[in-house]
Amino acid sequence: MALFVCLLKLEKLDTDLKNYKSNSIKESIRRGHDDLGDHYLDCGDLSNALKCYSRARDYCTSGKHVVNMCLNVIKVSVYLQNWSHVLSYVSKAEATPDFSELHAKDSNQTIQTRLKCAAGLAELATKKYKSAAKHFLVANFDHCDFPELLSPSNVAMYGGLCALATFDRHELQKNVIFSSSFKLFLELEPQLRDIIFKFYESKYASCLKLLDEIKDNLLLDMYIAPHVNALYAQIRNRALIQYFSPYLSADMRKMADAFNTTVLALEDELMQLILDGQIQARIDSHNKILYAKEVDQRSTTFEKSLAVGREYQRRTRMLILRAAMLKHQIHVKGSMDLSCS
Amino acid sequence: MASALEQFVNNVRTLSAQGNFRELCEFLTKSTEVLMKNGQHLDNVLETLDLQQHSLGVLAVLCVKFSLPAAAATPDHHELLFAQAQEFITGCNGEQVRFAPDTYAELCHLLTHSLAELKVPLRGIDLIRQAIRKIQLFDSQLTSIHADLCQLCLLAKCFKPALVFLNTDITSISQEGGQFDTKYFLLYYYYGGMIYAALKNYDRALYFFEVAITTPALAVSHIMLEAYKKYILVSLILHGKIQNVPKYTSQVVGRFIKPLSQPYHDLATAYCSNNPDELRTVVNKYHDTFVRESNMGLVKQVLASLYKKNIQRLTKTFLTLSLSDVASRVQLSGPSDAEKYILNMIEDGEIFATINQKDGMVIFHDDPEKYNSPVMLRQLEEEMAVCTDLDRKMQSMEEEIMVNPQYVKKSCGAPDDDLPPAPSQGSKITTYSM
Repeated sequence: MALFVCLLKLEKLDTDLKNYKSNSIKESIRRGHDDLGDHYLDCGDLSNALKCYSRARDYCTSGKHVVNMCLNVIKVSVYLQNWSHVLSYVSKAEATPDFSELHAKDSNQTIQTRLKCAAGLAELATKKYKSAAKHFLVANFDHCDFPELLSPSNVAMYGGLCALATFDRHELQKNVIFSSSFKLFLELEPQLRDIIFKFYESKYASCLKLLDEIKDNLLLDMYIAPHVNALYAQIRNRALIQYFSPYLSADMRKMADAFNTTVLALEDELMQLILDGQIQARIDSHNKILYAKEVDQRSTTFEKSLAVGREYQRRTRMLILRAAMLKHQIHVKGSMDLSCS
Repeated sequence: MASALEQFVNNVRTLSAQGNFRELCEFLTKSTEVLMKNGQHLDNVLETLDLQQHSLGVLAVLCVKFSLPAAAATPDHHELLFAQAQEFITGCNGEQVRFAPDTYAELCHLLTHSLAELKVPLRGIDLIRQAIRKIQLFDSQLTSIHADLCQLCLLAKCFKPALVFLNTDITSISQEGGQFDTKYFLLYYYYGGMIYAALKNYDRALYFFEVAITTPALAVSHIMLEAYKKYILVSLILHGKIQNVPKYTSQVVGRFIKPLSQPYHDLATAYCSNNPDELRTVVNKYHDTFVRESNMGLVKQVLASLYKKNIQRLTKTFLTLSLSDVASRVQLSGPSDAEKYILNMIEDGEIFATINQKDGMVIFHDDPEKYNSPVMLRQLEEEMAVCTDLDRKMQSMEEEIMVNPQYVKKSCGAPDDDLPPAPSQGSKITTYSM
C-alpha cells in the first residue's frame, strides 16, 4: 500500500513538473524539481534525489534559491558521504552574492551555521582535523537546529575533540575556552568541557582517564567513530609534547605516572615522537631520564653546507656527462639487441 | 689466392707510405672478405708489415684473425694471437690508429671476449689499460674499451686497475665510426657501478647506476633493467629508501622497467617498515629471483643495513640503552649480536658510542666533529675548490654554446622564421574572414 502511494505521488509530481516545463515558468519548474527531490529523499533514493536537486540549479532566479539548492545538495551529499561534493557546494553557497549581504538576518545565521557544520563534517571525514575544528568552532549555538544533519551536542563533541588534537595551547585558550559561542555548546557536553579544562590545566592523567570513559560512546557515533583512535593518539602526543616542553630534563617515572602508563610503554611512545621530530630530546634509558637535546647551530650549519656542496658536485658532474651524452647522441634505440654479456 | 694477399700487402704499403690513411681505411674495410678467405696465410702477411709504419694494416689483419671461426683454435693459437695483440697494442702508431678507432675498439672487444671465454681475464687487464691510454685524446674521454676493462676487472675480481678510470669523471665521449655504441656506454656504467658496489663505495655506485638508468631510451635495454634493480638495492643500502629518479629519466623506465622489477619494489616497501622480519619474509619469497639475477649478495647487504639503520635511529633517541634492549628493539638475536653490530659501526664511524661491558650499557654520543680543526678547514676548502672548478667548467661550456654559429643562428633567426612574409599574412587574414 505504501509503495502504491509512493508511486502515485511520484507520478503526480512528474506530471506536474512536465506541465510547468511546457508553461516554462522558471520558478514553478524549480519547485517541481525540489518537490521531486524531496520525494526521492523520503523514499531513500539518494542518487535520484541528488539529481533532482542539482537540476533545479538551472532554474534559480535569486541568490536565495541558489543557497537553498546548495543546502539541499549538501544534505544529500552528506548522506551519500560524498565529501568533496559537500565542500564544493559549501563554497558555492558562500560565494553567492546575495548571501553575504543578508548576513545580519536571523535566517542567514542558520544557513551559515549549517554550512559550517557540513564543511566541518566533510573535513573531519577526510581527516583534516584542524580545519574541521575551525569550522565547528564558528557555529552559532542559537541557530544550530538541523536534526537531519547533526545535533548541537555533536558539534560540541567533534569541535572539541578536533581542537584538542590539533590546536596548540594558545589557540586552545583563544578559540575554545574563551569563545563565548562555543561555551554554550560545551555546556551540552559537560564531560568534554572537563576534559578540555583538565588538558589546559596540564592535569593529563585525569584528562586521559575522562577521555577513556567517553570513548565507548564515541565509538558508536557514525561520524566520528572511524577517527576516534587517530584523534586520541594525537591528543595524547600533544599532551606528551606539552608536558615536556618547559623542561631540560624530566624523570620518566614521574612522567609515566602522569600519563597512567608504564615507563617502558612511555619510552616507546617518546621514541616515536622523537623520530618524528616532534620532541627534541633523547632518552637516558639507564637512569630513565628524558633530556632535551641542545642543537649546535654551528656544527649543523657546517654539516648542511658540506652536504649541499657534495650534492652540487654530483649534480653538476651528471650534467656535464649528460651534455656529452646528448652531443654524441647516445640513446637506446628500438631495434638494437642489447643482451647483457 | 696468394696474389690477392700480395696485392693487399702492396696496397697497404703504398697507401701508408703516401700517408693517405683515410683512403687506406676505406680499402681495409673493403678487403675484410679477402682476408677472411685466406685465414691460414695471415701470419705471413703480418710478417711483411711493419708495426709502426703499417699499424692500420696490422690492425685489420689482427681483427680478422680474432673473428675467424674458432673451430681450429688450439691453446697455442690463442697464445700466439694474444702475443700478437699485445705486441700491436704496445707498439702501434697511435696517430695512425686514430683513423680507425672503431676497428681498434673492435679488436679490444674481440680480445676481451676471447679472454673471458678462456677464463683468463686477469691477463688482459693491463693490456686493455694500455689500449685505452693509447687511443684516448685526454684522460676524461670515454671510449667503448672502458667497458671491456671493467668487464675484465669484474671477471678477475681485481678492481683496483679500473678505479683510476672510474674515478675520472667523463667529460667527453670518443667518436668511434661516427657513432658511439650505446651498448658500451651502458655497460661501462653498469659494470662500473658493480665495481664500486663490490668495493662498498655505494655513493659512487649509485651515481653510476643512475647514469645508466637516465640514459635517453626509446626501448627497454636489459642493461638498463639490471642497472635499475641494482640502483634500488644500492639506494636502499645508502639512503634507506628508493631515491627519486631525476625528471629527465626516459619514460621507458617508469612504464616498462618498473613493472619488471616488482620484487625489488616489494623489498623496498618492506624495508621502509623498518621491520627486519617483514624484510626477511620478502627476501625468502623472492629468493629464487634474487639468486637467478645474481643480486643475492646485495640483498643480504640490504638486510644487514636495516639493522644498522635501526641502530642509528636508536642513537637519535637514546643517550644510554642496555645491550639487551638494543637487541630487542632492532630484533637481533641477543645482546652479543647487538654488541658485534655496534662495535663494527663504531669502528666504521657510522655511530659514535661507547660500550660499558660491566653493566652491559651502550652510551651514545653526539658527533664529536666540531668543525674547528685545521684538517676540517682544509677539507672544506678542497670541497669549495672542486665546486668552483665545476662551476667554471659549466660556464665555459655555456660560453661555447653561446658562440656556436648554429645556436646563434637559431636563437636570433627564430623570430624571423615565425613571422610569415607579408603577402601570405594578408592571405591568411582573408581566409579567416571568409
